[in-house]
Amino acid sequence: MKKPRVAIFDFAGCEGCQLQIVNLEEELLSLIEIVDVVEWREGMSEKNPKFDIALIEGSITRPEDEERLRDIRARAKVLVTIGACAGTGGVNKLRNHMDQKVVGRTVYGADADKSFLQVGTVRAIDEVVPVDLQIPGCPIDGREFTRVVRTLVLGGEPHLPEHPVCVECKRANNVCRYEYGEVCLGPITRAGCGARCPSFGMWCFGCRGKVTDPNVDAAHTVMASYGKTVEELEQRLALFGS
Amino acid sequence: MRVVKVEESEIASWTRTLRQRQRIVAVQEKDGHFVFDDLKSAEDLRLDHDVTLQPPLRFFLPEKEQLLSFSRGGGYRAPESDDKPFVLLGVHPYDVAAIAQMDAVFSSGVEDPHYMLRRQLATIVACDVETPSKNVFAGCMGTAVVRDGYDLLLTRVGRHYIAESLTAKGDALIALFGEAVEEPTPWDLQRREAVWQRNRQGLRQHELDCPPEMLPRLMALSYDDKIWQEKSQTCFSCGSCNLVCPTCYCFDVEEDVDLDLGSGQRVRLCDGCLLEEFAKVAGGHQFRSRSERYRHRFYRKASYMPQRFGFVACVGCGRCIDACVPGIANPVEVYNLLLERHPEALEPATAPVAVGAAVATAPAPAVATASRMVSPTAAVTLEPLAAEQLLRQGAARPTDEFAVTDPYVPEQATIVEKKRVTQLETYYKLRLESGRKLGHKSGQFVQISLMGIGEAPISISSGPTEAPTFEMVVRRVGNVTEALEAMNPGDTVGVRGPYGTAFPISDLTGKNILVVAGGIGLVPVRSAIQEVLSHAADFGRLTIAYGMREPRERLFGDEIAKWQKLPGVQVLESVDRVEGGPWHGQVGPVTTLLPLCGIVPSRTAALVCGPPVMYRYVLADLISMGMKPEDIYVSLERRMKCGIGKCGHCQINGVYVCQDGPVFTYAQVKDLPEALS
Repeated sequence: MKKPRVAIFDFAGCEGCQLQIVNLEEELLSLIEIVDVVEWREGMSEKNPKFDIALIEGSITRPEDEERLRDIRARAKVLVTIGACAGTGGVNKLRNHMDQKVVGRTVYGADADKSFLQVGTVRAIDEVVPVDLQIPGCPIDGREFTRVVRTLVLGGEPHLPEHPVCVECKRANNVCRYEYGEVCLGPITRAGCGARCPSFGMWCFGCRGKVTDPNVDAAHTVMASYGKTVEELEQRLALFGS
Repeated sequence: MRVVKVEESEIASWTRTLRQRQRIVAVQEKDGHFVFDDLKSAEDLRLDHDVTLQPPLRFFLPEKEQLLSFSRGGGYRAPESDDKPFVLLGVHPYDVAAIAQMDAVFSSGVEDPHYMLRRQLATIVACDVETPSKNVFAGCMGTAVVRDGYDLLLTRVGRHYIAESLTAKGDALIALFGEAVEEPTPWDLQRREAVWQRNRQGLRQHELDCPPEMLPRLMALSYDDKIWQEKSQTCFSCGSCNLVCPTCYCFDVEEDVDLDLGSGQRVRLCDGCLLEEFAKVAGGHQFRSRSERYRHRFYRKASYMPQRFGFVACVGCGRCIDACVPGIANPVEVYNLLLERHPEALEPATAPVAVGAAVATAPAPAVATASRMVSPTAAVTLEPLAAEQLLRQGAARPTDEFAVTDPYVPEQATIVEKKRVTQLETYYKLRLESGRKLGHKSGQFVQISLMGIGEAPISISSGPTEAPTFEMVVRRVGNVTEALEAMNPGDTVGVRGPYGTAFPISDLTGKNILVVAGGIGLVPVRSAIQEVLSHAADFGRLTIAYGMREPRERLFGDEIAKWQKLPGVQVLESVDRVEGGPWHGQVGPVTTLLPLCGIVPSRTAALVCGPPVMYRYVLADLISMGMKPEDIYVSLERRMKCGIGKCGHCQINGVYVCQDGPVFTYAQVKDLPEALS
């Protein structure tokens, strides 16, 4: 069997998801046994114009990003996004709720007007080109990442959980964050993280994006019964652009 | 049986002594709540808990467990159990009742060896409730107090505990108290009686307005009630109600492939019928909407389980109420609302037939409350291992024989022939490695198993002959069937089965046989056609009405040509649209063929198989032509996972397609709303 060629690309993001891949260490070595990594800025210096699977990190924030992304899409058989920035826009998308001039000045000060610092609306990858699969999370879960790659290599269709984080909280014997009076996004957020945040005493931030069929209306409705407002819910949802 | 009294302070040292001998899983505090967990120190034990977050079921049916492991080269084997005897300490009566119910589930029909082994290794120490939880309603369900189903029961009376053993294992535990035991006085026993009385009256934070035995009748009247829509508006489909329930045991099966791609394990994971994926089949068809999934849970508890096992599968622990964020899971609230809307449920004279009762082959068992269920009936059939032996021995390992009969471990079979028959479908002929014949009947199915990819239920398309081979035609709609396509003659696959019911061909002798097949529906009925043809003299005419979407989807073309030439056989064909090939048959849905079949209703048996949408029209037409529902056989498809009536995925209302089906008479399913929707 010929090893599938994999290329990893990054756009606007913290590169934390790529770091998760690097952090796989020994698992990464096993992964390289089954795929051929042909381009990866963070992990190697070679480049290759041909590949089968493109893994994309980061969101699209500049006009030149869009052009580059379209080129990658045209060359990839399978395009997989990794992480929240690529999947939903991620924390970058918070910017879309603000005055872009203020954002520019806050970040770049007097240089904000320079032509190469002009930025536009933040978009997730699937708002620009068709995406075959999203590996969600901020950052991605290393185990899920390797599972998806293995399934792709085996020719299968990788399957992400379609149920919410609550399932994993129950399995972990966690006390529901709503009992602590917190607005937790667990009930509408895609599972797969092992309910990491609730297991460590925080509410779910929703970094993995929404479940397949999220009942957002229900989330709005139940806020009142916990003495919370819809605005508090919306604020939480905005953090990862969903 | 022995009843003794010990001072409260003795419990800690007794626990320490016990801990030196056996693993103890006991109630402990966690974040202001309680959980069952391995007891690391006797001081952590709590017997004053209100309720645990998770039921003790997880120690018999873990969240995740291995069903088999496989390695490079295709070999696989049942897992070696590392389970050891353990004491489950601090089980409240309602959970004792739930365990007895689960025993009934996992020991009925094909036994589940994993559950049964752990159950045999467990010693159950129950304790009466000292602190009612905020949502407990065990008092209404008859499970506030149990007098059976445990090895030892601890009841606190003042500064003492009364310990009562029911089994040899319980006696052994009492023996560990040594000199500390006293004989309880009649006054002590009266005080224990008072605790029970208090709990029967007191564990009722919600008051059910009818006896639980009435619930199946209530449910039979409530299927189309608007409550399911209303309540589920705010349902997150998060499955929390399932995952904390002591009587929710459904599971999913998944492959866990190791990094080298060559080895891994097949695991089962706790599942919940509220979850989005639960009732989806390969190809993505969703058999239950959000509100239907919400309804299904209540029907399982109060209608389907009572029909099948004879008990209402709710013990009133209140965990679902605790766990539901939008606050819609309270069974008492739902049942009471339904009682208001359907007061006739309480009038015995109008007892309607319960949803899904039609298929019950045995007389439906009388519905008992959960506590009565715990009496030494079928529910508690476990062979208790000798207590002393249990206290001494290390790991109890399943014998080889045990592993061989493990229903989750497939047999190996070799692909002896493979042929692409349409764009989407491929024909396979398989032979079991052992050389034995499969021994299937027409209409049954097998679970085809590819290590590392998964399992899929596949209909057997060949008739029951003496040949050591069997055939199937597989449509590529998921990971397993796609991977099967990449395999070739000589390759091996796993096979479990045959499973399910069959077309009762031998009971139909003397009749005309009408086969109505839509698309790939011809595959399972082909087995029946072959069986009829091999005894052609015993039957009247055989008429086959075969409809498909387009000519290129036509299956078994060569064989159809042969059938057509046989005396007494007529084959009629239709396509929805003439595209992709020449066509000489009819154009239109398969129902256009029915008037041409010359059906004599009184002398005909119909075998119908096709996509869900086909059934509605075909069945309506056959009935209007004068056929009786009991003379029409249908073969239904759902997401069969375990094949042995345990995992819950293939359920249609109260029936399991993998066991009660896939072949049903129309009479059996016509009143099951989920069957032909």
